[in-house]
Amino acid sequence: MPAVILSVRDLAARAGDRVLFLGLDLDLRGGEVVAVRGPSGSGKTTLLRTLSLLQDPAAGTITLGDGDAATLGWSAWRRRVCLVPQLPVMLTGSVADEVRHALGYRASRDLPSRDPGRGRRLLDELRLADIADDHPPDELSVGQRQRLALVRALLLDPDVLLLDEPTSALDPDAAEALREVVRREVSSRAAAVLLVTHDSGRAMRWCDRVVDLADLAGAGRS
Amino acid sequence: MSATIDLELLDLVLATALVLVAGAVSLALGLGLGRRLALASVRTVVQLVLVGYVLTYVFAQRTLLVVMAMAAVMIVAAARAAIRRPSRTYRTAFGHAFATLLLTSLVITVTVTAVIIGTDPWYSPRYFVPLLGMVLGNSLTGVSLGLDTLLARLSEQKDRVELELALGASAFEAARPHVREAVRRGMIPIINSMMVVGLVSIPGMMTGQILAGADPLMAVKYQIVIMFMVAASTSLGCIGVVLLAVRRLFNARHQLDLAPLRRQEDA
Repeated sequence: MPAVILSVRDLAARAGDRVLFLGLDLDLRGGEVVAVRGPSGSGKTTLLRTLSLLQDPAAGTITLGDGDAATLGWSAWRRRVCLVPQLPVMLTGSVADEVRHALGYRASRDLPSRDPGRGRRLLDELRLADIADDHPPDELSVGQRQRLALVRALLLDPDVLLLDEPTSALDPDAAEALREVVRREVSSRAAAVLLVTHDSGRAMRWCDRVVDLADLAGAGRS
Repeated sequence: MSATIDLELLDLVLATALVLVAGAVSLALGLGLGRRLALASVRTVVQLVLVGYVLTYVFAQRTLLVVMAMAAVMIVAAARAAIRRPSRTYRTAFGHAFATLLLTSLVITVTVTAVIIGTDPWYSPRYFVPLLGMVLGNSLTGVSLGLDTLLARLSEQKDRVELELALGASAFEAARPHVREAVRRGMIPIINSMMVVGLVSIPGMMTGQILAGADPLMAVKYQIVIMFMVAASTSLGCIGVVLLAVRRLFNARHQLDLAPLRRQEDA
């Protein structure tokens, strides 16, 4: 069995004074793709934000390998546990700059330097071959920006990829291409994926297992 | 050197008539400026008469303690004014504005009086107080605009800031584009006035010196010193307060925490 990458124990999250979920235990192993399911307001997005430490957990512990954020450093943690939000915000003026933007942060400095064509190849595989490198990202469609945001995150070589509704704006073809690319990238590097999705049935078959937050719903107000 | 013509009380009454004309126009057009204009006019008279007496006292005393007490009052007033204008604020904003203005305005004004002009003593009130006032008056605009821009951008572009954090940016890296824009905006007024100085406007200090009978070339030399000290203090003040605000709104875990922010009505 592949090693555990991310380990979550007794995690709870709240929004204001409402407890969203309680007692979540979760181990993500290398090469795994795990889906998070639950009704609206059950804390799916909050779970992803908590794992990337954009917000503090209400209770519980999260460890990456054998370290926590205090030992790894918060920025290094987020580079390695990388969140791709559902809202694809663009940061730069061109597609080429966009995919490489996050490589300029201090936390990315220890990444091995690699072939500069990788971003372009991933874009091509994600059915974005007809979009020029100098195209302004803000003029792309939501679905195109979602895929651009995914490539931007993949270039950081994260150990854990947190995807919030990654295929919500994609046609079936593009969605399938995205699943293939994500699957290949994580298994080649023994990384793991945790994704929030509303897909069901066939579209869920690529996930290894499903975590249902409805089972962990908070007992009301704390 | 020709003596300045002193103004009689009647002259001030005539000046009042000018404001009354403006008030009458506003009233006729229903612009609703009348009350604010009246209040501003009354404040102008009261504040300037008071400061006239205070300056007379301070100039007569010439002691370090009195000059510094005056400086402290001026800096507190500037910090209060600076944090009132931004559309958002937070609890320690006054402290941040005060600390920044205290440090930048004193260091720069003392440098000018002690080193550049070389007054004796360095706190000679006839130089120190008006120069400090000039520095503060401009810095507070820079602090105000910088703070307003930063706080507005951090709250309106929260998604963008958090996205950068999520990709591994440190708090400072995620804040940097917004810091840059805030400082740029804070510097616009002083840069603009440096660009057109002498072409469009003759600055207040120069006007005053010329009215007081000084040689225009001497007034120019003073004005150059003033412009540079104002530019320096405005940029340092703006950068200082913006960095303090960033420290306040990001925590040690490099999370954006907007909880301390609250909106404030335009004062």
